[in-house]
Amino acid sequence: MCVRYEPPDVTEMNDWIAIGALALVGLLIPLAMMVVSYLLRPSVPETSKRATYESGEVPTGGTRIRFNIQYYMVALLFLVFDIETVLLFPWAVVYLDAVESDAVSLLEILGPMVAFVAILFVGLGWAWRNGVVQWAQTPRQVDGE
Amino acid sequence: MTGGAATLLQSNDTVLLPERIADLTGLGELGVAGELTAAFLGAFIVANLMLATTGVAGPWAKRKITAAFTDRIAVNHLGPAGIFVIVADSVRLLSKENIIPENADRPAYDLAPIIIASSALLGFAVIPMGSGVHLADPEVGLAYVFAVAGIASIGLVMAGYASGNKYSMLGGLRAVAQNIAYEIPLVVTGMSVVLFAGSLRMSEIVAVQNETVLFTIPGLEWAVPAWFALVNPFAFVLFLIANFAEVGRNPFDMPEAPAELIAGYQTEYSSVYFVLVYLGEFLHIFLGGAIIATIFLGGPAGPGPAEIGIVWFLLKIWAVFLLTQWLRSAIPRVRIDHLIEIGWKGLLVLSFANLGLTAAIVGVVFA
Repeated sequence: MCVRYEPPDVTEMNDWIAIGALALVGLLIPLAMMVVSYLLRPSVPETSKRATYESGEVPTGGTRIRFNIQYYMVALLFLVFDIETVLLFPWAVVYLDAVESDAVSLLEILGPMVAFVAILFVGLGWAWRNGVVQWAQTPRQVDGE
Repeated sequence: MTGGAATLLQSNDTVLLPERIADLTGLGELGVAGELTAAFLGAFIVANLMLATTGVAGPWAKRKITAAFTDRIAVNHLGPAGIFVIVADSVRLLSKENIIPENADRPAYDLAPIIIASSALLGFAVIPMGSGVHLADPEVGLAYVFAVAGIASIGLVMAGYASGNKYSMLGGLRAVAQNIAYEIPLVVTGMSVVLFAGSLRMSEIVAVQNETVLFTIPGLEWAVPAWFALVNPFAFVLFLIANFAEVGRNPFDMPEAPAELIAGYQTEYSSVYFVLVYLGEFLHIFLGGAIIATIFLGGPAGPGPAEIGIVWFLLKIWAVFLLTQWLRSAIPRVRIDHLIEIGWKGLLVLSFANLGLTAAIVGVVFA
């Protein structure tokens, strides 16, 4: 592929210094707000005030329980597709240059990526058929229908 | 294909905000220390600009807009149109007692609001806001902004888990479900823009949009720039939908669905912690708006001289904000059991279809 090489920009270092500075400012501003609030606010400790809010009822049971989060398999799918997007990025960046140069045909640029995405879509199709990408139902809910 | 648009941004001689500050104040001559100070000052300006925007949006504009939709007046006592309620509300919220629930998981409970607020702020570093307000322009701009915007879900799930409240827990988990379902359509649709622009650098994406003339309106001699919203409206609509889901706005506000979960992950937060979570949410709406403005709406470009670019940029992100508030008043919430199906069976497939079509069109047109 005759994609032209561009030398790294001389201001490249500055960019990340500025981003780091924004990260610092982004931490300092919330911390400053917390300090101001600490100086302003009253503290009237009472035990019942700190009770977990459950619509005004006395809380029943703890929060650290096991329940179906409904998207375990979806999270696995997400990992696969997320890595795929990372792999797509470089292709998307060089695509225009590759198309404009006459060295490679469109089929050569587009084909491999279409094949790659198609393989992943076979996986998505399998997940779809097996009911992974829909809200799981308990046996009772299924019987009720 | 050179320009007919009123304002053109030249990608190759972009002067970034820290460099400009260094030139103006003479800090540049002080070497690395001066460079760091200039970067810090620039970051401070950008952060405060966005905080001011959210400050107007959160306590005031949101109330006024919702009131207009429901035929009410809302805040009107303090100052013209009640605008000084912003000051009153910030003092009120900061001076409230901070009630820590007894089941809270302590360091995580305190860290979550900071993560939510500061991660949203980070994304603005690479956004070209016009009038020279552009903090950094790394080569990976677009990928960076998506990556940084994703950090917030860690904050949300931390807030949800550490609060020790069932509503918070459900809200935090819903936020994650939503993020993993809509992140990929969002990124893949954003990638279709990269196919046109051939770069991830934000200034180049903006420049490509404004340097190309899509068509000229006959009779008026107006050159319509090739903003990607006009070049590819399908991608624009897809991106808008995925973006609303990603920032958890209506009709995708299941993570905090007030009718079901009180306030979701922020149920147990009060005082300054609540302010930070709320601030982070609004910053995220505006970050979403800034991404949309940059990659679809020509960034800071608009009629008039290039110096007023920031006015156009702010108008564009406020337009996106107004749209979120409009949807909030107009559209019912998506049911939680439809969330994954809409994301994975609908938007994901459509976004890849869009990418494939865009690639084919670019391939045919530019070959």
